[in-house]
Amino acid sequence: MPPAIETVDLVKEYGDLRALQELSLTVEKGEFFGLLGPNGAGKTTFINTLVGLVRKSGGEARVFGHDVEDDYQQARDAIGLAPQEFNVDRFFPIKEVLTHKAGYHGIPASEAAERADDVLKRVGIYDKRDERFDWLSGGMKRRLLLARALVTEPDLLILDEPTAGVDVQLRHDLWDLVTELNEEGTTILLTTHYIEEAERLCDRVAIMNEGRKVTVATPDELKERGSDTIAVRLASAPTATPDLGPYAHETTVSGDRLEVRVDDGGATAPRLLNDLEAMGHEIADLEITRTSLEEIFVDLTRSEDRTVTRSSAESAGDDEPPANGKREGEREQEGVA
Amino acid sequence: MLSVGFRALFRREILRFVRRPKNTFMPPAITNVLYFAVFGVILGGRIDEIAGYPYILFIVPGLVVLGAISNAFENASFSIFHGRWNEYIHETLTSPLSYVEMVVAYVGASAVRGLVVGVIIAAVGRAFVPIGIEHGLFLVATMIVITALFAGLGIIGGLVARDFDDLTVMNQFILRPLVFFGAVFYSLETFEQTWQINLSLLNPMVYMVDSVRFGLLGHSDLIGVGILPGPYADFAPLVSLGVLTTGTLLVMAVDVYLFKIGYGLTD
Repeated sequence: MPPAIETVDLVKEYGDLRALQELSLTVEKGEFFGLLGPNGAGKTTFINTLVGLVRKSGGEARVFGHDVEDDYQQARDAIGLAPQEFNVDRFFPIKEVLTHKAGYHGIPASEAAERADDVLKRVGIYDKRDERFDWLSGGMKRRLLLARALVTEPDLLILDEPTAGVDVQLRHDLWDLVTELNEEGTTILLTTHYIEEAERLCDRVAIMNEGRKVTVATPDELKERGSDTIAVRLASAPTATPDLGPYAHETTVSGDRLEVRVDDGGATAPRLLNDLEAMGHEIADLEITRTSLEEIFVDLTRSEDRTVTRSSAESAGDDEPPANGKREGEREQEGVA
Repeated sequence: MLSVGFRALFRREILRFVRRPKNTFMPPAITNVLYFAVFGVILGGRIDEIAGYPYILFIVPGLVVLGAISNAFENASFSIFHGRWNEYIHETLTSPLSYVEMVVAYVGASAVRGLVVGVIIAAVGRAFVPIGIEHGLFLVATMIVITALFAGLGIIGGLVARDFDDLTVMNQFILRPLVFFGAVFYSLETFEQTWQINLSLLNPMVYMVDSVRFGLLGHSDLIGVGILPGPYADFAPLVSLGVLTTGTLLVMAVDVYLFKIGYGLTD
């Protein structure tokens, strides 16, 4: 069984700028996979390469074994995409938008209408089925994007920052829904800025920065890569910083509070306490703080010089520009010809 | 070719203009009432017959062509460009439709709009003057070919346009002048200088207007001015249709190529 997504040395260049740099990534069938990275890391470029909205400059990209350019029809048929941008047909009521999309995927009209009803109910906007997109609230628009991605019953569901700017209730609704879909067998690729989201939902995450894959791991594995902090309150403030063994990467003293950064807080704490007692300190309290995924993410994506890449140029903005170079605010509904 | 996906896109494109008749069908109907009233009745009454036809009847084919190809072009270019502008063309681009299916659906639907407008204009003309159809099959074939040709050109326009003004420029400043100098309101046989005729023959619109006029009225300027040598002179409309058909297929091939490379559509 081929992987849901497989890219090998995938490159996307915009002139001198390299949005994707030899990106090799594999997402297995049935996985819930997260893509994390700062703005401009190349996440959306990566996704758009898979669905045919960006043409790769080099390397290979396959969806369920189908090359995204040579076998574009099979590759695209397998994908349901809920993008960041509201790229929905403004001319038709939303139910028709969904039946059209299903139709493009070869689903006959009567079945497409049934599916449209089903997904609108599933995302909770069935009562808005006869409204046009522009009349929906922001949260409803986000729900519609998900419904449109689901109406073709894709094997691979790609969610590009689906919870950006939505309220807590909707975020939890979306989390429940995508979890359910994943349990039903749908492979899910999720990009997000919310570390909590990735930690909660994803089997594995890839961290990207400046078009490169920094690492791929489970959220737990990533957290294990970080250092923990053991905070010890002493009965009396030490006169000097205790000289601990090499297990202590960093030791700081603030009054009677001693903070020691170590690899594994749980395993190191007994030894630290013994060493402190051997030095004559009396322990009053102890607390171990594990590194958050967010801290690890920041650490992994920190860069000394981000001024020469495309991603840095965009990091001040939102993300990769749309195909026609316009931003959301620049788009307006024009007259009909 | 007629896959479910193709039919879905074709239907969507048809519905887009059918549901907005105020924007799509009313303007050409009203404009042509004015054309027929002013050029045909008020001015036409002071003009002698042209090629043996009352002036108002002579201009019917040209006005049909003008309306049909303008609307075919406008529909395709607007649909593509508006989809790009608001990015909902992504719904099509991310679907498993082949590039050929996408192009044929867009071209086909826009050609249908052009044909409907052509019929509307003919019906408006019919209200002013009795119109017969001399070569029905030829007329239908010509109308299908030229509306498809301009729908195909409209796709190119929609892909290269940077803003809505570009679409206006294409339609108003390129298409319409060519049509107006395409022997809509006059006959090539009225020219006394050979260079005038030769210059006109460089305008592709001349062949379209002439073919439709041949289909509707049975009169062809191209036969009259002898564009083909002696014994073949009467085949001029057929040759025109052949060349136009070839041109249409070439333009559609360019459309498919542009979709394939993602020109104006993908990064």
